[in-house]
Amino acid sequence: MKLRLLFSALLLAPFAARAAVDLPTLWAERAKCTVAVEYVTETETERQPTISMGTVIDTNGTIIMQSGAVDPRAATWQLKEFKVYLPGDATGTPAEYLGQDAFTGWHFVRAGEKIRAQLTPVTTFAAKGASPVPELSEFVWGVGLRNKDEDFAPYLMQSHVALIQSLPQRTAISQQEVASPGLPVFNRDGVLVGLAAASFGQSYLQFGRGPRPQPVVLINVEESSAFLLAEEMLPYLGRVPKNVSGRPLAWLGAYGLEPMDREVAKFLKLEAQSGAVVSEVLEGSPAEKAGLKDRDIILALDGKPLPQLKPDRVVVSYIELEVSRRAPGDTLELSVLRGGDRVELKAVLGEEPKLLREAERKYFDRLGFTAREFVYGDAIDRHVKIADTTGVVAHFVKPSSPAGVAGLRPDDWIMEIDGTEVKNFAAATAKLTEVEGDLARSEFVLLVSRNGETAVLRVKLK
Amino acid sequence: MLLPLLAVALPARAAMTRGFNQLLDAVVRIDVREIAFEAGAKRYAASIGSGVILSADGLVLTNAHVASSRAIELNVTLANQERVSAQLVGWDHWTDLALLRIDMADVKRRSLKFAHADFGDSGKLYPGEVVYAVGTPYGLSRTVTRGIVSNTNQFMGDLQGVNGYETGQFNTWLQTDAAINPGNSGGPLVTEDGKVVGISTRGYSGANNLGFAIPSATARRVVEGLVRDGAITRSYIGLVPGALQDLEAFYSLALNTGVLISNVDPGSPAAKAGLHGGDILLAINGAKVVGRFPEELPGIQNQIASQPVNAALKLTVKRGNEARDYTVVTEKLESRVGEEWALEKWGLSVRKVSRAYARENQLDDDNGVLVIGVQPGFPADVAGLSRGDIVTKINQQPVGSLDVIKAAQTAYEGKPAPTLFEVQRARRVSLYILKP
Repeated sequence: MKLRLLFSALLLAPFAARAAVDLPTLWAERAKCTVAVEYVTETETERQPTISMGTVIDTNGTIIMQSGAVDPRAATWQLKEFKVYLPGDATGTPAEYLGQDAFTGWHFVRAGEKIRAQLTPVTTFAAKGASPVPELSEFVWGVGLRNKDEDFAPYLMQSHVALIQSLPQRTAISQQEVASPGLPVFNRDGVLVGLAAASFGQSYLQFGRGPRPQPVVLINVEESSAFLLAEEMLPYLGRVPKNVSGRPLAWLGAYGLEPMDREVAKFLKLEAQSGAVVSEVLEGSPAEKAGLKDRDIILALDGKPLPQLKPDRVVVSYIELEVSRRAPGDTLELSVLRGGDRVELKAVLGEEPKLLREAERKYFDRLGFTAREFVYGDAIDRHVKIADTTGVVAHFVKPSSPAGVAGLRPDDWIMEIDGTEVKNFAAATAKLTEVEGDLARSEFVLLVSRNGETAVLRVKLK
Repeated sequence: MLLPLLAVALPARAAMTRGFNQLLDAVVRIDVREIAFEAGAKRYAASIGSGVILSADGLVLTNAHVASSRAIELNVTLANQERVSAQLVGWDHWTDLALLRIDMADVKRRSLKFAHADFGDSGKLYPGEVVYAVGTPYGLSRTVTRGIVSNTNQFMGDLQGVNGYETGQFNTWLQTDAAINPGNSGGPLVTEDGKVVGISTRGYSGANNLGFAIPSATARRVVEGLVRDGAITRSYIGLVPGALQDLEAFYSLALNTGVLISNVDPGSPAAKAGLHGGDILLAINGAKVVGRFPEELPGIQNQIASQPVNAALKLTVKRGNEARDYTVVTEKLESRVGEEWALEKWGLSVRKVSRAYARENQLDDDNGVLVIGVQPGFPADVAGLSRGDIVTKINQQPVGSLDVIKAAQTAYEGKPAPTLFEVQRARRVSLYILKP
């Protein structure tokens, strides 16, 4: 036993030695494809700086960041002062925000010309031909960047692959944290094997003064041990948004897709595959036009049965990805189970209705709130017919402002201003501009709807 | 100089003693054992409250949060410490009142004696008047605390309900600084002559000397109704009134004219008639309505609730500069809390979705049962059901009533087989299998 161990140690030694020598050099070269991106979200009364890590994907200074890097509620025009920092760099260089790609979820940023020469595209380190898939227990490493107060100094993280899962994209889980989220992961030879995703929660017990420990979930937001395999990343680097809104966006309109577990699949005699329940078919959507009904169970897309993935929830992401990888105008064939019958449908995907982040807004400082255009998603949230939608939404309410004191709350749906029905955003802003500009006015009255109940609010201006 | 004073004082004191002593002998402790469904199983809970005997034939008034329809065993401890069982006559969570009847056959057999109390007029109380709260706080034997009337007409919006049941919309409250502690609930608040002017109901936890009682004017009416019908039937039209205070100028109204319609429940009779939030209600069947201050709102709610069910009401409503009449047909007022049951084989507690619950939660209809509890490790929990889910179908059959789900469990007990549940959770529809 002892002999054999010694023997294998000897065998491994040359490889280990080679990697150990090479790693600092490989790391120093590859750190050049990583950057930190800083931007400011400017809201009505606040400026919120955010820092995220990004990977350089081409020689034009294009950088990708994880989907969580930007708050989806923020309007794109509120995102300002993008700056790119090289590892170890104290002063950033201005950059441009290009938008988010719906399929990958990546946010794209383009660094200013000044520093482009100092950036190395991550593709430089990709394998020629098929990307290598790391094997279980294989050594992998990546780059981490420290915080701004340490000039985003790069550091090395190393681990071994513990598991590869389809979520539904093929994702490797390593034993320890292997890179900052959004930064690349390499194998022992320095070949790109993946891109670190957002980290997942880990369960711990927290012991306090109480008699029992409390279970807590901790998420390391600075370092991740999950990474998307290179084969799931490299083909999509070209999906740079054509405009900052990320449009065109493919839309099906099947709301509340719910996965089923294997017991349900078995009961419905779907032995080797899965399905997803459509909770509601949205009004006027491509799904509705195709004849999809509430509570239909989607079984296959374009003839391909939905795979059984774990956890069950992943099948929903699978469907969402199948829609978002397509373009408006594309056809998607749906096989659904309705009652006991199998029904075949053909949906022509449409263009996603205006999103919250695209809605028009106007802040009235003297009144103390922001009126926002009522968009499709608002109608869904409030469970009302699109045709019936008038009014605007209070997007932001300044605390202790006239509107705040009157009891207006964010997300209140403003139906009437001073007894006049608010037809649309333009009518609302015209009326509110008039109210705000009239310095002699002592009050105005809002009729708002909140959780399906209306309330009359009297806003005192002096 | 002292003597005449004493001479004057004595008769009053004697009267107080007689009436008050009689009242003391009418106050009882109530021990309740009730069934609770929330645990995914039938569980029993015990609690203690107070009550007051109102008649020689053994009617006892208490709070609905002491004795409800869930009570399975009620025991009354008389003033002389004798214990006798009682039955629920009826309860009314809207006013938080319940009426019991002592087992009179047992009383006769054992020759038990008790006194009964009379109602006083809560409308004649004045702030500062001395009142006494009598009851059995924390199960202590009969306890008298003294205070004054702090407010005769207190409005409390946003009340926590009685075990989830709505309460308080139809009355204002007597407020007193007489100490009201847990277990005082259901005991009488009395004047010096022993007349019952209120039923002690709640205190503010964390506050000092803020106790609240249901006024006898409300209690007297509810008792009459419960004796007659075993329940109080009220009407519903779906209007939520709001105080007009400070809005009169905006609506071009004279002071003390009409009440603001703050909200109209979707799908309610008022909504069907075309009313909506922001309208002003001027009159009901020609009788003027005034809701300038919040204290006036419960009276208006009560005025609507007191109309017969299925009656056509003529509401005079002002919208903009125009006033016109709308005809609204009343419905029977229902609680948001439907009937409950525990399906013990599945470890699943459910409550029928009521019309009111469906309205509040923007459900399409009142089909289905709401999950109010699951027992860990039992089939419902293992399958993934959780509190707040609405079971809409079982084995593809709509669950229109509790009977449907009870029958499904009976079938399951007879021949355990995987059972398909269709469940709605915040508008998302999922499927689950409950397995033996």
